Amino acid sequence: MSDHLLGYVPYAVEFSVCLLLLWRGRWRRLKGLGLYVVGLLLVDGMARPAVLNHFGPASTQYAYFYWLTDVGLALGAFLLICRFFRRACADEEERWKFIRLMLVTVFVVVLGISALKLSSNYTHLFTNFIIEFSQNLYFTCLVLNTLLYLMIQQLAIDDEELGLLVVGMGVQFAGETACLALLQLTFRENFAREMLRFLGPACTVGMLAIWAYALLRPPQTSEVRIQTRKDAKLVEAVAD
Amino acid sequence: MFMAALILIFSTALFFFYLQTLCQKVLRRHFAQEYFQSIVNANRLEFPSVRKAIEDFGAPVDYPRLMMTLKCDYLALTYLLKNAANVNQRFTREEHLLIVYFKMVLLSLVARHWLRLGESRTALKLTAILEYFANVVGERVNSVRFGNLTASDYLLNL
Repeated sequence: MSDHLLGYVPYAVEFSVCLLLLWRGRWRRLKGLGLYVVGLLLVDGMARPAVLNHFGPASTQYAYFYWLTDVGLALGAFLLICRFFRRACADEEERWKFIRLMLVTVFVVVLGISALKLSSNYTHLFTNFIIEFSQNLYFTCLVLNTLLYLMIQQLAIDDEELGLLVVGMGVQFAGETACLALLQLTFRENFAREMLRFLGPACTVGMLAIWAYALLRPPQTSEVRIQTRKDAKLVEAVAD
Repeated sequence: MFMAALILIFSTALFFFYLQTLCQKVLRRHFAQEYFQSIVNANRLEFPSVRKAIEDFGAPVDYPRLMMTLKCDYLALTYLLKNAANVNQRFTREEHLLIVYFKMVLLSLVARHWLRLGESRTALKLTAILEYFANVVGERVNSVRFGNLTASDYLLNL
């Protein structure tokens, strides 16, 4: 029973967040987030169960597919963080140029380190290497996410919605990275596998629940300010 | 192996940091007015005086009294949250989260007391949670009309 709940709750929450984005009309402003959630739903809710049913849980094909899509999702999350950085620097082009350079550098460094490790771990590609690679990607996203959070605090950016979205991502990355690190430390012991099986979806549900909370909250000052700016422009245009 | 251990410690710490930040963000919600005053008056809650004592003297006067005050106010407010003008008679998800947060902070208050690390900041966090609960109860009571009764009158008759 609990296995079934654990399996279906994340899909239901992913679907609910997609509906919320449409219902609240936020998908226009949050395109990056919408794409990520839809991708999550397609991969986690449709593709993975389909491959699992076709090949079985103990098959090599499913293991390959699971870890490859996991890397894909981590890359998607990295792009989403870049999008959040862009939103945080919406009024400051100079800062965004610097941050963009930093993000590209980080991505190239992670890719370079992974490529180096790939060449030396080619025979164990889908055992230890892929877990380590996935863990490194999540950890990079976690560090970037924390830097983004600190930047929002430091610059006193008045965007409550962005703050909550960043906190949601933080919960997901921190939980997932901790589980993967534990898996690596315990040499993939059974209890660590069980923890990952339970905590991975739990962290995803936590992130999506925080995002849903952010979407359900009434618009805060920054959003009102943007709307007021738009209204003022409209009034000016009509007056002209 | 060393890197994995470092990542495990760092990410676990950040996990709890983000959870705390989430609770702080929920607590930062703006209410249309200060609803908590009427609830405090009607139920003779003492957390505002605890907060005032900390702000005026820099530290709570008496630890056993502080603990009892905070626990009693917590019990009264959680009862009201569940039963006062609440059609569903159950806590919302935000309230559940803050209840867990309150218990965690209370535990840390006990630990800080035994380790002699100073309790003021932690006690202020607890009063902030209680103020939020009182504001939610006040807002709910305010949104429902009970004939000519005020919020305080309604709560006295509960």
